[in-house]
Amino acid sequence: MAYISMGEVHRRITEYLNGFADAVSSQDGGSLARLLSLSSNSPSLLSLADALNVFQDANRLIKQSDKCSQFAEIIVPLFRSLQNYRLGNLVDAYHAFEKSSNAFVQEFRNWESAWALEALHVIAYEIRVLAEKADRELASSGKSPEKLKGAGSFLMKVFGVLAGKGPKRVGALYVTCQLFKIYFKLGTVHLCRSVIRSIETARIFDFEEFPRRDKVTYMYYTGRLEVFNENFTAADDKLSYALTHCNLLKEANIRMILKYLIPVKLSLGILPKSCLLEKYDLLEYSNVVLALKRGDLRLLRRALQEHEDQFLRSGVYLVLEKLELQVYQRLLKKIYIIQKQKDPSKAHQLKLEIIVKALKWLEMDMDLDEVECIMTILIYKNLVKGYFAHKSKVVVLSKQDPFPKLNGKPVSS
Amino acid sequence: MMNQGGNTQTVAALDPSSVENRYVVGASQAQTSFYPSSVTGTDPASWNVHRVESHSTENGNTSNSTYHHVQHMDPSTRTVQDGTNSAAVASSSSLGTANVQQDYSNYASYPSSTDPYGYGSTGYPGYYNGYQQQPNHSYSQPVGAYQNTGAPYQPLSSFQNTGSYAGPASYTSTYYNPGDYQTTGGYPSSSYSHQTTTWNEGNYANYSTPQYSSYASDTTGAYASGNLATTSLQYQQHYKQWADYCNQTEVSCAPGTENLNVSTASNQVCQVPGVSGGYTTSNSQNTPSFTPSWRLDSSSSQVSSQMPSQTLPQAPSQTSSLQPSVAVSGAYDNYWKHGTLSFQNQQVSPMQPHFQKPLEPKTSYDNFQEQQKTACPQVPNLQYASSHQAAQSYQPPLQPVPSLDSRRTSKLQIQTNPRIASNLPLGLQKTDKDGSNNNAAAKPAYISVSFPVSNEKVLPNNAADSVLKPSTFPKSLRGYVERALASCKDDTQKAACQAIMKEIITKATADGTLCTRDWDNEPLFPLPNADVVNKDTLQSSISASLPKYKRSPSRRSKSRWEPLPEEKSVDKLASVNNDTAKFGSWIHANEKDKKPVSANLESKNDGLGATRFSLMEQKSATKTFRRPVKRQCLIDGNAADNGDASSDSDKDQNLTAYYSSAIALADSPEERKRRENRSKRFDKGQGNRAEINHFKPKNIGTGNLYARRASAMVLSKSFEDGGSRAVEDIDWDALTVKGTCQEIEKRYLRLTSAPDPSTVRPEEVLEKALLMVQNSQKNYLYKCDQLKSIRQDLTVQRIRNQLTVYETHARLALENGDLPEYNQCQSQLKILYAEGIEGCHMEFSAYNLLCVILHSNNKRELLSSMARLSEEAKKDKAVQHALAVRAAVSSGNYVLFFRLYKRAPNLNTCLMDLFVEKMRYKAVSCMSRSYRPTVSVSYISQVLGFASSVPSGEESDEKDSDGLEECVEWLKTHGACLVADSNGEMQFDAKASSSSLYMPEPDDAVAHGDANLAVNDFLARTSS
Repeated sequence: MAYISMGEVHRRITEYLNGFADAVSSQDGGSLARLLSLSSNSPSLLSLADALNVFQDANRLIKQSDKCSQFAEIIVPLFRSLQNYRLGNLVDAYHAFEKSSNAFVQEFRNWESAWALEALHVIAYEIRVLAEKADRELASSGKSPEKLKGAGSFLMKVFGVLAGKGPKRVGALYVTCQLFKIYFKLGTVHLCRSVIRSIETARIFDFEEFPRRDKVTYMYYTGRLEVFNENFTAADDKLSYALTHCNLLKEANIRMILKYLIPVKLSLGILPKSCLLEKYDLLEYSNVVLALKRGDLRLLRRALQEHEDQFLRSGVYLVLEKLELQVYQRLLKKIYIIQKQKDPSKAHQLKLEIIVKALKWLEMDMDLDEVECIMTILIYKNLVKGYFAHKSKVVVLSKQDPFPKLNGKPVSS
Repeated sequence: MMNQGGNTQTVAALDPSSVENRYVVGASQAQTSFYPSSVTGTDPASWNVHRVESHSTENGNTSNSTYHHVQHMDPSTRTVQDGTNSAAVASSSSLGTANVQQDYSNYASYPSSTDPYGYGSTGYPGYYNGYQQQPNHSYSQPVGAYQNTGAPYQPLSSFQNTGSYAGPASYTSTYYNPGDYQTTGGYPSSSYSHQTTTWNEGNYANYSTPQYSSYASDTTGAYASGNLATTSLQYQQHYKQWADYCNQTEVSCAPGTENLNVSTASNQVCQVPGVSGGYTTSNSQNTPSFTPSWRLDSSSSQVSSQMPSQTLPQAPSQTSSLQPSVAVSGAYDNYWKHGTLSFQNQQVSPMQPHFQKPLEPKTSYDNFQEQQKTACPQVPNLQYASSHQAAQSYQPPLQPVPSLDSRRTSKLQIQTNPRIASNLPLGLQKTDKDGSNNNAAAKPAYISVSFPVSNEKVLPNNAADSVLKPSTFPKSLRGYVERALASCKDDTQKAACQAIMKEIITKATADGTLCTRDWDNEPLFPLPNADVVNKDTLQSSISASLPKYKRSPSRRSKSRWEPLPEEKSVDKLASVNNDTAKFGSWIHANEKDKKPVSANLESKNDGLGATRFSLMEQKSATKTFRRPVKRQCLIDGNAADNGDASSDSDKDQNLTAYYSSAIALADSPEERKRRENRSKRFDKGQGNRAEINHFKPKNIGTGNLYARRASAMVLSKSFEDGGSRAVEDIDWDALTVKGTCQEIEKRYLRLTSAPDPSTVRPEEVLEKALLMVQNSQKNYLYKCDQLKSIRQDLTVQRIRNQLTVYETHARLALENGDLPEYNQCQSQLKILYAEGIEGCHMEFSAYNLLCVILHSNNKRELLSSMARLSEEAKKDKAVQHALAVRAAVSSGNYVLFFRLYKRAPNLNTCLMDLFVEKMRYKAVSCMSRSYRPTVSVSYISQVLGFASSVPSGEESDEKDSDGLEECVEWLKTHGACLVADSNGEMQFDAKASSSSLYMPEPDDAVAHGDANLAVNDFLARTSS
């Protein structure tokens, strides 16, 4: 670190303090947000952090500054956080930042208008990011990472400040999304419910009035929740909303949405084009799609096994696994078509033996009973129209539309 | 005369002060202003001031002051009473802390009623208060006299209540107000009755019943607590005071006199019983009857009468005169003291006002008088018995009279009675200790009650302060802290105080500056209340004071009334009216009152130096009290929160009543602590309560291990918002038990208190116990019981290495299909495995998987369970089996499921067992949809696991036939249509069955949903 003169140190600190006071007095949320954005690594903040590390008596400067002394509860811990962040003490930085944030929220509560929403959002973001980093530090030193949880409860408090009536409510969805991120990361998604209820049941605020960015994020996460619940229609709605409203330039975001939307669509019988998978680097789905097209059970199972960890982590494994029935359906349809070419009059009678043989070709070792069971399930779930004659071991297909398409409806349970 | 009457009423007691103020208001609002200031001024001192003021007000005081007073009074009515009471509390506490406390409790109840009134219209409120007080007194008197009478009194109270309801209306119109007063009075009276009952029986039941019958649970709760704390002596005093009051009222003394009376009100009440005859002729007769002992009263009454004419200075003189009189005759003195201290005076005075005021009061008066008469005879004896305490209480009144600071009063008390500590809490404790064994517990409660009152008063003051906001807060805070610490008897208390204060301060800062201001006033008192009883009383008082502070009489009435379905419809209607009409007005009044308070304070300063003193006194006296009050106020917030506050207050009061009763019953400190701990559990929900509880534990600090642990728990919980420090302070290691029990066999009993080392088995004994259980031939219930007790012992000793217990128990539970018990073990095992303890990790992760798949149906949890499986785990046979089962279940593949079922490793079968029925039903309904026309039952039997899937050899044939029969039976019970084909083989008619299948109710279903609770099992459990 280059040597910094005391005068320079004073100048930097005073500059920051003045900037802070000016932003508050002129109600400039953007400038205030920049001053709070710890992880932005902006040069001015970095130099301030260096200055603070040289000059240990910044508190006195804050107290002396008549404009900023009233914000001492915000700035003092913020400086400490900045110092620690610069030095890499992330846990300490988090602690100080949370303290500062608490004081800020207290202040924010008192501000009538919502001018400082931007700054509050920066705080919500920073505290989450900082908590994640602090948790990483804690985990590496063998301690239990709990800061993200703490950040979650802090953001819940912030949400409470925003969720009421009035102009501040427009900022509530941003905090909600940060909360989602935390809950999904922690695996405590059940905590989302209360927040969602608060957002969706409030009639006083139209959902469409929230900023688009927040709406997209919100729909993405709630869509994911619906995927967990295997509520494919709702998941499709939400994720499609997110996709259509997402900024087209943000390919990473589109990819994240598609990651869930594709399995949902597959479950509804809608297959993506391969160019889509290529464009958004979702090739893990390509074999799944191919298996669906071909009725290749082996391919599906391989694809699932190959990407098992990935699918399990993203939570789509069970969804994809359920595609098996569609693959069976496809396989039966293929057999049916081949039979029809040979002997149209007998085409609607599929012998169980033939199906078992076909599965054998796919290296699926299943005996008659098991395949019979699958056939009854296919009929039961209305993927195949017809009936199974137990005595003769034959699947008798309906002559009209024996393999109904899903056409956007989920497989009946 | 009206004014005088009002004054006289106010004179009756602290309430009287408010009453007086109100009266003054009624007469002339200008006068009221003085009153309020005086009332608010000092709880103890305020009384003096009030008295003085009231005198002046009667002469022509401002209504505002009365309002403040009233509000303060409410909380402080108690405070007013406190005024006298508080004086008593501060000063008199030492003398008869019990009495003082009792008075306070009484006051508190009164205050609440009075508060609303005061809020509605200061002048009117004052009147109302007076009315209320009167009713209360009368009620209390009867109650005090006899519990039986208490019932009749309750009716009276109900009448009063109706009156009170009218009162709210009266906010708009004064007439209504009187009614309100009556109602409020009624409430207080109920509290009195409770007290009396407690005195008589000292039982919880009594408390609860009286309270409920006459007053809402809330008021009763507060009262009860106060009552509990207060011993019969106090009641007696009250009764006497009543009588005195009556006499005084007859005299229609000047407000000042009334105030004096008020201070003596409790005494009067006591007197009334004694004077019973006097009650009937309330004024004249009472005086005569009093003459010996009462002479003091009468003299006081005379003095009071003089007082009205006289100004503030006179009041002090009167008080001083009273003191001398006290000195002259101890018993009388006692009575006097009580009267001065307590509400009784106030009540009496209200009665008088009522009489004077022809309106509703007359009827009520009549009733009251009659009641009083009846009560009086009974009461006198009690009063006399408690005369000694009364004497102590008298001293406090004296202090108020001088309008000295509470400190002074305390000093005075000290002088008079060594027992009476300079500080109220100390005095209370001392009195408790010294005191009457019987009353000891009760006394503290009373003290606490008085505290609340003072708090209430303080609140108004605080509100005023908040309005003013100047430098007072820091000072008050400092003073508060100092006082709180000073009040601590020992180091543990001090530490507790410090912790509490930190919490309080942090909370206050978080809440806002107002809070901090309030805190200043409030916190001190709670801390000082070291004794459990005090704590309880504090809570109760706080709760009572809170509602009062909120000031919405309607609220109180609502809350009180609503809980009491028995109350008369008239009352309800009245309450409703009050609510609607009063709320708005009250709220405004409150806000106004706050401002006026400040103004009043100023006016007090201007007009009455004494008022300031009184304020100061109140502050000092109420410091401890204030904390709770403030918190409540803060939490409840402002007027908007009234509804909540009232409910809270109700609850609190109930709790307090419960506590008080419990306290009364519990002679041993341990019992008290235990009860408190239990009650704390209930309190956790509400911050206020929790805080209160915290206070209690801290105070208890000196107690035994149990208490300490309990307090630690409470502290940890309470401190969660305040900061983590307190939690960190808890030394869990110190709390960990090291068992000494050598018994191998031990029945499980869910702990309701900290574990006793002598009943906890050390690790080596537990190992033997585990072996014993494993080799035992007894039934599952016995084993489960034993294993649970082993687990409990492990837990309390924090032994974390003995996996086999949990695994053994988990397996045992699985074998017996006891999922709840299994889940308990599994969750513990999860933690242990995560800590790196090996055990049979794989086996149990398979169980866990199966459990999630088959029984929770939580996709998210299943996913995370699967994602958590290591590569190694996926190779494990049991885990692989579990995963295969999962796949079968999710696809509905019943064939695969039952194949897996047949070859399940470990206890996977047991878990699958629990799912078999569902799977079979699903399979059959699937078959009924898919198969046409029929399926052979033998196939179904084979596929659905009734028979072995691979028939081979003769043995299996036999099994198959068994399985076939079972399958037929199962299908029939599920509504399947079976037909025999040409070969005589049973066939499942799919189409017919598709509409007739159903899931039969399980045979072992129990109405209460838990088969384990079935009688047979229970008997088996107890016999084994």
